[in-house]
Amino acid sequence: MTPHIAVRNLTLRRPEQGVGTLDFVLEPGQNLVVLGRNGSGKSTLLRTLAGLLPPQLGTVELMGQDVHAMATRRRAALMALAASTPPRETALNVREVLGLAFEASGRTVTSKALDAALEAQGMLDWGGLRLSELSDGMAQRVMLLRAFEQSGAVILLDEPTAFLDVVGRAEAMADIGRWKDNGRSVILATHDLEAVEQAEWADRWLVLRPPSAGGSVMMVTPFKASEARRLLTGPV
Amino acid sequence: MSPTRIKGVLSALLVLLFMGGLFFGPAGLGWSEQWDALLGREQGMAHTIIWSLRLPRLCTALLAGAALGLSGLMMQTYFRNALAGPSVLGVTSGATLGVAMVALGTGAVAGSADGWGMAPQVVGALSGGGLVMVLLGLVMGRFRSRTALLIFGLMVGYLTGAMVTVLQAGADAGALQAFVHWGMGSFAHGNGLSCAVMALATALAALWSLRDGSSFDMWTLGTLAARTMGVDERKFTWTVLGTAGALAGLVTAWCGPVAFLGLATPHLVRAMGIRGRMAVMLVPVLLTGGVLALLADGVVRWMGVPLNAVLSLVGAPVVLLFILGKGPFARRTHSANRP
Repeated sequence: MTPHIAVRNLTLRRPEQGVGTLDFVLEPGQNLVVLGRNGSGKSTLLRTLAGLLPPQLGTVELMGQDVHAMATRRRAALMALAASTPPRETALNVREVLGLAFEASGRTVTSKALDAALEAQGMLDWGGLRLSELSDGMAQRVMLLRAFEQSGAVILLDEPTAFLDVVGRAEAMADIGRWKDNGRSVILATHDLEAVEQAEWADRWLVLRPPSAGGSVMMVTPFKASEARRLLTGPV
Repeated sequence: MSPTRIKGVLSALLVLLFMGGLFFGPAGLGWSEQWDALLGREQGMAHTIIWSLRLPRLCTALLAGAALGLSGLMMQTYFRNALAGPSVLGVTSGATLGVAMVALGTGAVAGSADGWGMAPQVVGALSGGGLVMVLLGLVMGRFRSRTALLIFGLMVGYLTGAMVTVLQAGADAGALQAFVHWGMGSFAHGNGLSCAVMALATALAALWSLRDGSSFDMWTLGTLAARTMGVDERKFTWTVLGTAGALAGLVTAWCGPVAFLGLATPHLVRAMGIRGRMAVMLVPVLLTGGVLALLADGVVRWMGVPLNAVLSLVGAPVVLLFILGKGPFARRTHSANRP
């Protein structure tokens, strides 16, 4: 089977090339958590994987195709990205946002399909609410659902829980966990160890570190938070 | 009221205002006389008034209103800034400078030339407005706050205003008078050609906005979201800025720097309860722009005041109410997000 995403010999663009050369493959349903301190290159990595930033060296393949050579629409149907803050300036309501996700994924937008997607997340009552009227936590969950409904294969998440309270964080993490069962591959970047400590869905852990700290390290589950904490903070 | 019903009411209002403008005026013509003139059964004074004065003026008002409304809607959506609009961002100022360079520099008189005689002025307005749009497109990534964009427009306005003043100082009296008159804004200088050009431009812009409506909607979710949802950022940016700038530039060439229509029209539509998707906003914005322009022109003809005075008296309070967060023009957000 074609891997969802294959990163080969990847060096990020300056000034983030310090994280070293990255190599990894995610099969359908396999998830990756990218850990790193502020400014360690997490966002640059996600933007490079998303095809928005060209790499310094190496390739990113999405379903066997070079992500930087793909047509924008084809890429959007396979891979979605959600940022840390939900949009605040949109006048769209939850159904409309979801409809756009369907469109980006290449599906036809039907009222029935939208209802089903909302109902699966217990959001049916939110359909007519505008994103600007929701709390940050609710709006962020809508944007996560948007990413899930859009992506056919890979979902990139950049600090999705950074601005959420404890309950919102747990809900969002549970949402993300369910996607794995649907065969999506999630790549989640965060500096929040506690939020992902309970995340039992992660298969791999990538700790981004500058060369002075010993370079980046890829770990496989079982994940030990103490080990990750040592890699992130402690001396080598 | 449902959007469909609102569109019906707006269309009825548009027809009513158009008919009113066509059949009422200071000439004091009789009903049957005007009707015969409209149908071409009479070739005298009434025919000239209806066909050469009133019809071009009303069509110009209608189209200019629709074009500016659409231009404003595009800019507010693209910049994700409800205070954006052709006059606020300096596009109208740029177009004004372009017109000043042609009208004052060459001695050609603004607003009085017929048909193709307006061509240099149109080119001037489009180049001036286009230049500001290109500038905006190049620097917008550097704006750190939403206010920076508005201050950019303000400063462009000062700069072009100063350059226009320099041009005015060296201009001859006749050209200067005509230019100042043009600057007050008027729909009276339209003709068949201007209407055809504005109609074509507005129709093309509206069709594209409808076809690419999802790109506009995705854009409101943030640049990163839009780009990963399949919007080609560069192509989208230049098409929006080019289209919105061209609409504003064309209107400015023929009608002068029309104030507030582009900014206020989308707000009026939102105040009617229509907001959200581009496909939902588009037709109401076109209709409301036309209604507003016809209404303003009616006041101009009735009271003899300049167009921009009328529009500013209506437009400025709309913006003030919006930033104060009061009344129908207030922004609706989750209470926790209010500053």
